[in-house]
Amino acid sequence: MPRELAFLDALVPGLLLVFLASLLLQWGLDWLVGRYGFYRHVWHPPLVRLALFVCLFGGLGLWAMR
Amino acid sequence: MNARAPAAGALRGGEAAAWLRGAGLDWLFAFKATFAVLLAGWLAMRLSLEQPGTAMMTVAIVIHPQSGMVLAKSFYRTLGTLVGCAAAFVIVGAFPQQRAPFLLAMALWIGLCAGGASLHRNFKSYGFVLAGYTAAIVALPVVNHPQNVFDSAVMRVGEVMLGILVAGVVSDVVFPQRLGDVLRESVRAQFAHFVVFVRDSLRGALPRGDLEKAHLRFVREVVQIESQRSSVVFEDAGVRLRSPRLRLLNHAFMAASTSYQSLHHLLNRLQDDAHAPVRERLMVLAGELAEALAPAESAPRMAAQAALLAGRLDALRTRQAAPVRALREGLSARADRLDFDTGAELVARITGELRDYAEAYAALASPHAVRAPAEPAAPFSHANDWTGAAVTVVRATATMLAMGAFWLASAWPEGAGAMLIATIFSGLMATVPDPLRAIRYMLGGYVLGTVAGLACVYGVLIRMDGFALFAAGLVPFLLPGFYLGTRPAWPGVGAGYLLALLYTVAARNPMQFDALHAINDGLAQLIGVGCAGVAFMLFAGTSDSPWLLRRLLRRLRLQLVEARRLPLRGLLPRFESASRDVAVQVVAHTRAGSRESRELLAWSLAVQETGRAVIELRLALAAVDVPAALRARVEAALDALAALYAAPGHARYRAARDLFSAALDEAAAHAPLMAQLHLIRLALLDAGSILGDCVEPPPEKESPHAA
Repeated sequence: MPRELAFLDALVPGLLLVFLASLLLQWGLDWLVGRYGFYRHVWHPPLVRLALFVCLFGGLGLWAMR
Repeated sequence: MNARAPAAGALRGGEAAAWLRGAGLDWLFAFKATFAVLLAGWLAMRLSLEQPGTAMMTVAIVIHPQSGMVLAKSFYRTLGTLVGCAAAFVIVGAFPQQRAPFLLAMALWIGLCAGGASLHRNFKSYGFVLAGYTAAIVALPVVNHPQNVFDSAVMRVGEVMLGILVAGVVSDVVFPQRLGDVLRESVRAQFAHFVVFVRDSLRGALPRGDLEKAHLRFVREVVQIESQRSSVVFEDAGVRLRSPRLRLLNHAFMAASTSYQSLHHLLNRLQDDAHAPVRERLMVLAGELAEALAPAESAPRMAAQAALLAGRLDALRTRQAAPVRALREGLSARADRLDFDTGAELVARITGELRDYAEAYAALASPHAVRAPAEPAAPFSHANDWTGAAVTVVRATATMLAMGAFWLASAWPEGAGAMLIATIFSGLMATVPDPLRAIRYMLGGYVLGTVAGLACVYGVLIRMDGFALFAAGLVPFLLPGFYLGTRPAWPGVGAGYLLALLYTVAARNPMQFDALHAINDGLAQLIGVGCAGVAFMLFAGTSDSPWLLRRLLRRLRLQLVEARRLPLRGLLPRFESASRDVAVQVVAHTRAGSRESRELLAWSLAVQETGRAVIELRLALAAVDVPAALRARVEAALDALAALYAAPGHARYRAARDLFSAALDEAAAHAPLMAQLHLIRLALLDAGSILGDCVEPPPEKESPHAA
């Protein structure tokens, strides 16, 4: 994946797209996991959510920029 | 004496502990918020954004003790910023280097956004105001170099987003205080209070004053829960999934509380000796209902208890018919039977609605109820008075144009800043009750913050080198601001202080020290806030304008006209929520206990009960087969009633009363219609209600009774 993409002739960092994609993915996962009551077994749900997002964004980012 | 001393000591100890806990939470929030501001500043400097100060200010603006509030405000701040940037492109693109049309377009855009804000609630309205002034923040610095508008917008978006991310993560992860817990407690308290209130008051009469007070409390609770619900959905997926059930619960509560008030009005009317037989018979039915509620001794905390209650109410509902028939046998007079039938119908309705309410509560509280309810919950409807919004548009636009004209004419270097801040506050404060007072507090905060900011920059920061020392120098100035923000006694002072402080500090990497410019800029900000206050004096908001208040009151009465006219589908939840929404708006703009406030409560009660009866009557008309002549008569009566509420007056009052009496005489064979017709007529005849003013022509000015 290129480091910068031209979007309507404006240069957009590729990582931004990865960030938005991970946000979307995170939102879906969060819904799914909340739907089945996973957060009831967790000590600090927001921390889990944040950690999940960091994993997603980090993994996707490293993969896209490898 | 000695025996008492330890107890008193323990009590004091308990109080002290509670106070310490509260103060501890407030200070915890202050430290958390300070940490978030500094973290945002550090990140912005690391990412070499142009104005780290904007990121820091964003944190200070969106941060709130409860994380749901932060996330909701952040969400709408994001939307507002993006829309505002788009508007800036359009306006700069349309009028590059043309001062007058540029200012005019910008002022119109900001005014329209501020008007849109006053049509919405909570943070949605904040998003509107933000969309307005972000356009100005982005476009004004590049007004002489329009080709730079894109860079300016990108910088602004980057800084704001960074601030939002930091604020959201810090408030949600570091010692979070959850709005979900607050909401759960509100819902629990609402349920417990209402059940206990119904149980205790079913046994006797309730004076009208108490009924109005209870009505006000119910209305407030309903709107508060809806507002918390709209923010809490950002906090956690579990609550988001329960959101439809929460809506159902609130609708069930509204339905039950309206019916309950109707029943009480009926019972109050039957207090004299002539009605004793009917009253006693109805009290038998009410007693049964109270008994079903009785075991709810303490607040029903558990879903299980609510489920049990629902079961008991359901059983009562099925066996209510037999005693009603038996009790009815003893009444011979037609009027008595009518009163009794109406009361019995109301008791049955309340039993059913209380059962729905208890069921909704049980379903909500159970951990497994994440599946959406079978029937989608109707949204909470809002109702607005468009004149108020129009005044807001005019005020914000006029503020910007006047300040802009002064800026251009005087070539005041800081004029743009003053214009911007005046416009921002004339938009932001339009949705606040008593905006003049709010601006006074805000101005006080601004004065403090500007002084503190100058002291901080030129007393402390000028000697500091590196981010660690910069942060250390800023902390003592930030902490009291956030703590001040948690004090309800000084609303807005903390926010004003922080905004002015961070604006004056204007964190940059490297820092720029220009005392003359900073003082000029600070003065311009203060003048701007003051001018926003002047704008509110010139174009008074609803709080200070009897005319707008009357318009709002009229909007409340028009809810009844809507109950008459709109299609029946989804009308009941719409009516119940919209009428409460308007009532709360009027309450927010009137002083408690004033004449306007009492008048409002009386109207609100009348609209609620009569509107509900109108809807029930229309439902009954749609459900049963009635002769065309009777249908026409009832429809005519309803039209007369709507006309009366649209514009109260003696002639319309007499017309409505006579039409309802006639319809009642003719509907004798149709029981479902009778009860509702009778309820509406009773409300019309009730001399104690607000419509009592229409019964007799008002006394002349010179009559001795006027005093």
